[in-house]
Amino acid sequence: MKAVLIQLLLVGLMLMMGGAVASDRVSLPKYPQPVGDQCVEPTDIMRREHMNFITHQRDETVYKGIRGIAARHSLKDCIDCHVGYDAQGRAVPINSEGQFCESCHNYTAVSIDCFGCHRTTPDEVSKVRQFTGKP
Amino acid sequence: MSYLFAILFYVSLGIFAVGLALKIRQYWNTPAPLKIPTTPAPTTQAGVVFRMFREVVFFESLFRAAKWTWIFGWMFHLGLALAFVRHLRYVVSSDAFVWPLINNWLVQFAGQYASLMMLVGLLGLLGRRILVDRVRYISAPSDYLMLILIIIITVSGIMMSFVAPIDIVGLKAFMTGLMVLDWQELPSSVFLIIHLGLVAVLAIIFPFSKLLHAPGVFFSPTRNQVDNPREKRHISDWAKNSGLDSADGV
Repeated sequence: MKAVLIQLLLVGLMLMMGGAVASDRVSLPKYPQPVGDQCVEPTDIMRREHMNFITHQRDETVYKGIRGIAARHSLKDCIDCHVGYDAQGRAVPINSEGQFCESCHNYTAVSIDCFGCHRTTPDEVSKVRQFTGKP
Repeated sequence: MSYLFAILFYVSLGIFAVGLALKIRQYWNTPAPLKIPTTPAPTTQAGVVFRMFREVVFFESLFRAAKWTWIFGWMFHLGLALAFVRHLRYVVSSDAFVWPLINNWLVQFAGQYASLMMLVGLLGLLGRRILVDRVRYISAPSDYLMLILIIIITVSGIMMSFVAPIDIVGLKAFMTGLMVLDWQELPSSVFLIIHLGLVAVLAIIFPFSKLLHAPGVFFSPTRNQVDNPREKRHISDWAKNSGLDSADGV
């Protein structure tokens, strides 16, 4: 009797933690495929360090005025390649549900404060559009 | 390495859960033959609950006994509680209904910086064992080792949070993978290996160590008894129905 109760308790606990018991696959963040096949740094480094790169670039830009092509880790360029598009070909804000930034940040409970100030879609003169002609 | 850690986690969690359950059963069944609440003690059951709350949350009796031990101990435990809540993000699904409680700025921010408070508290407690003569005299090797173990866990966590970030999406995949028996690769990081390895060690030794003060505090007769020996005669469970429980039995 006691054992059954404990088992029920455990199963209940696991169900509470996300109803993941039924599926046999781990849930992972899903996001739109980016443009191009190479990021500015190797993927495994970007996964760990992207916020440090972006914050460092912010200081370079704000204090030293380094912009444009020389700004290797510009947030604007992140958005240019990684933003998703809807059926009408309009850019979807990158911090909205299921988009590139939001999917992982929500998955791991990390808040993003970039977009209190910065725009979430490419602007008219995006580098990717200039050089690739992509939307 | 991933499989090694998967097995280590199942084994250590098993030992932790079973060992802790057995210990709690033992505490539960240990008789408290005498009425010995430390006075001034509450005279009602509700009062006892309130006293226990103050004891567990604020460490009231420690505060009255030793201020330095209290400040360092309390800093560590409060930091531990905040860091624990933050760590839930690695095991709770982002679809769970409790997720908004974990996925908010305040909880994550407090949990991250609480680690520094934990470290200050732990170093204070270690310093106390080394620098205070009468405490050093009664300190056993396990007292030091336990502190050092938790200090290394804390420092490795701080390193991952503030200095050498890891792939936390991969980590969550690994942890949730353990729960649904769909094993994922452990992200590579020396600090993560140290952190998780020592947490497993901690879980294994928990049921055999002084860390049992966590469940133990609730079973302290001097804290959990109502001060009503005149209103209600106190008879230990084992003495009931033994002929000793009548008014003139003794």
